[in-house]
Amino acid sequence: MRNSFDEKILDEALDWIKTNQKVVLATVIQTWGSSPRQVGSRMIVNENGDFSGSVSGGCVETAVVRECLDLIKENKACKKIEFKVSNESAWEVGLACGGEIAVYLEQVN
Amino acid sequence: MNIKTLEQIIKNKSSKVEFAIVTNLRNGESQVFEPGQKLSGDFDKFQKEVENFFKSKKNGIIENSDIFIETYIRPVKVIIVGAVHIAQYLVDFAKSLNFEISIIDPRGYFATSQRFPDLKIINKWPDEAFKNIETNENTALIALTHDPKIDDPALQHALKKKFYYIGALGSKKTHENRCQRLKDAGFTDEQIKSIHGPIGIKLGGKSAPEIALSIIAQLVSETYNK
Repeated sequence: MRNSFDEKILDEALDWIKTNQKVVLATVIQTWGSSPRQVGSRMIVNENGDFSGSVSGGCVETAVVRECLDLIKENKACKKIEFKVSNESAWEVGLACGGEIAVYLEQVN
Repeated sequence: MNIKTLEQIIKNKSSKVEFAIVTNLRNGESQVFEPGQKLSGDFDKFQKEVENFFKSKKNGIIENSDIFIETYIRPVKVIIVGAVHIAQYLVDFAKSLNFEISIIDPRGYFATSQRFPDLKIINKWPDEAFKNIETNENTALIALTHDPKIDDPALQHALKKKFYYIGALGSKKTHENRCQRLKDAGFTDEQIKSIHGPIGIKLGGKSAPEIALSIIAQLVSETYNK
């Protein structure tokens, strides 16, 4: 059996919109290997870079926020981004767990 | 996502409707799907695949397409008998775990809105209360009064309706007596053994929030065991 362990991120998205914030939804749409969060996991980001929820165990959230801010700036509707295993470059964001995830960004309008 | 779609999602969630969000990843367009409903526009040719995803309660991308589906199922219904101290903490835990809680307690002095500000307590005897609650094998019961007058009728109802989780608070001795009463009432050993008593997993804690944590941990574990 399953329960709907809904983290109520979309409820929060609607609250943000009601207070005139711009909201980008970031959703895990695909995973490969041992990714930290399952498909359907979400976070939301506003135009100030505030965020709630998660798409990984804290590994890629910073990069997702940056991408969301770009989406708002460029006024694009949606974008898909992929994260793979982190390589040796310390500046590159990646998943230490060895998994891969695809995250879908979309503006609420 | 359109704000109207978002509003509809929140509305469906609060009215406990099961549904799915269908998104075209190429352009960001999305629609809310409810069982029996026809999808429109670009989505109509994926009707069958969406229905299949919905039936299997899965999230994911339809193979060889740009269509993403996220399903929303109804939260598990948990009935607590006894608006006692432990129940107050269970309500807190259940909120973040998204269980749908109802509390039954015929004793008016326990069932006050001051003690449970976010929840309406059913101030009736269990037999009476269960007449208005739909229950089945996806329902859970947590009996907390350890008063046979109140707990026993609820336990009997839960056993008859084959609740997937039944837990009853009380010491080993209390539980032995309880089992004997259920046996006398005609329940089989197998049925009686399905009751978790003393309730909860062993954490060692004795305070009300610690006992609530041990109960909720057992409930979550049993939810995924079935």
